[in-house]
Amino acid sequence: MSNRKYGYYPGCPSESTAIEQDMSVKAVFEKLGVELEELEDWNCCGAAEVEDPEIVYALNARNLAIAEKKGVNIMTPCSICYYNLERSNKALKGSEELRAKIRGIDDSLAYNGGVEVKHVLDVLVNDIGIEELSGKIEKKVNVKVAPYYGCYIGRPPLTAFDDPDAPVLMDQLIEAIGGEAVPFDYRKAKCCGGPLMMTMQDIAFKMARDVLEGAKNAGADCIALACPLCGMMLDAKQEDIEEAFGIKIGLPVLYITQLLGLALGIDASKLGLNKNVVDTKPILGKVV
Amino acid sequence: MIKTWELDPEFKYEIMKESGGEHLTACFQCSTCTLGCPLTEIIPTYNPRKIIQMSLLGMRNEVLTNPDLWVCLICQTCTARCPQDVRIADLLGAIRRIAEREEEAGKLKIESVRPSFDKAFMHQIQKYGRLYDMGLAMEYYREKEGSFFKGMMTMSKDYKKFGMRLFKKGKMGVKSMFPVKVKDREVMKKIFEHMEAEKG
Ligand code: SF4
Ligand code: SF4
Repeated sequence: MSNRKYGYYPGCPSESTAIEQDMSVKAVFEKLGVELEELEDWNCCGAAEVEDPEIVYALNARNLAIAEKKGVNIMTPCSICYYNLERSNKALKGSEELRAKIRGIDDSLAYNGGVEVKHVLDVLVNDIGIEELSGKIEKKVNVKVAPYYGCYIGRPPLTAFDDPDAPVLMDQLIEAIGGEAVPFDYRKAKCCGGPLMMTMQDIAFKMARDVLEGAKNAGADCIALACPLCGMMLDAKQEDIEEAFGIKIGLPVLYITQLLGLALGIDASKLGLNKNVVDTKPILGKVV
Repeated sequence: MIKTWELDPEFKYEIMKESGGEHLTACFQCSTCTLGCPLTEIIPTYNPRKIIQMSLLGMRNEVLTNPDLWVCLICQTCTARCPQDVRIADLLGAIRRIAEREEEAGKLKIESVRPSFDKAFMHQIQKYGRLYDMGLAMEYYREKEGSFFKGMMTMSKDYKKFGMRLFKKGKMGVKSMFPVKVKDREVMKKIFEHMEAEKG
């Protein structure tokens, strides 16, 4: 049996725009009997906006040090947080010089390299495992799902934990819950445009439109994802994208942990299914 | 046209000194990066390979003022596919940081609002240790529009429907008006101050 306790790093959107992801992660892990202990007083990972790698390393040295003191490995549901935490972890583990330099800024940044960082998708499929999950499935989630991985799951190679071009982890979960992963070709791992949402909206919208239309044309009932920025683009902005291009999508967008939670028999309200912007009721109707 | 007398042979070393820029000279110009870049479907002239070639040649000014630097999605597709491990996504970040420092020194003008967005984002972390969405939006719009008032006008227009949608889902309520703060904010300040001082 793998380690049954993780230091939980929720990430900034967990309290606002991606609250349903946070709720569903907590509910799923509770149901699975895997303890999550939120890292006390964690700070922002630097997202995509802090460009200087050394600032990213310093910010995350603090998060890693908090976990190290508690003796837990870190799990995060956000792909960008994962990327920043894990690349910092690798850089710090690999260089005593860097550790010393960052420790020199403040004692709270003293990290000795004793922590592992994982994305929730990795934990679910590779630590807990499909076998254990399958044994706990109570309901069949009979939906056609477009598995959308986005960036930072299969790339960059330094931190990737799935195939860069044809990732499979989410597909395995979808199959385990009784759903069907529709063929979603290269769009599975194509960028949603999120990083340009505020600064070059027209380009961001074109990127997201391609993913949304791709999912719809593939016959999906919904999109599954594993990153709050993708959720922002594909779910919260879906109506704006429809309006910008004069198209109709109307596709529910769920976090993979919400879909898994439904299969585990967890109540929809505990999974935050009323928080997704595009109505998720059509999906609830297919849970049998 | 390349003006040989304007080429800066030191430029490639300047980039390689920057964190993320180390692998620049490994590039053998195969163009895999550009061919796989999702932006090229939208902007056909977008070409990371060319930015690398120009950097290697020492076309410092052309590279640092190239607006395409600020369009990159940092999606890492190029980095994943490059046969020479050039790590283009990080490399472009290294070039952007040089451009930003040059702009701060008054030596060039960046034609993009992206640096102000990144800065506004960093200020939230520096102040609170977490992302404060409202603070980010207010600062960014103020910078982008040139004044607090104009910024607020544009922001309320842009956010009208979107904000309402989030509000209805309980994602943008009274709570989101206020920042969530980490307790140890002193260290956040220290990190940014230390790194800035070091880069001069
Ligand atoms: S893929 Fe790598 S080697 Fe090929 S042109 Fe791009 S950076 Fe150079
Ligand atoms: S990281 Fe930037 S340059 Fe590289 S493929 Fe993505 S958008 Fe293109």
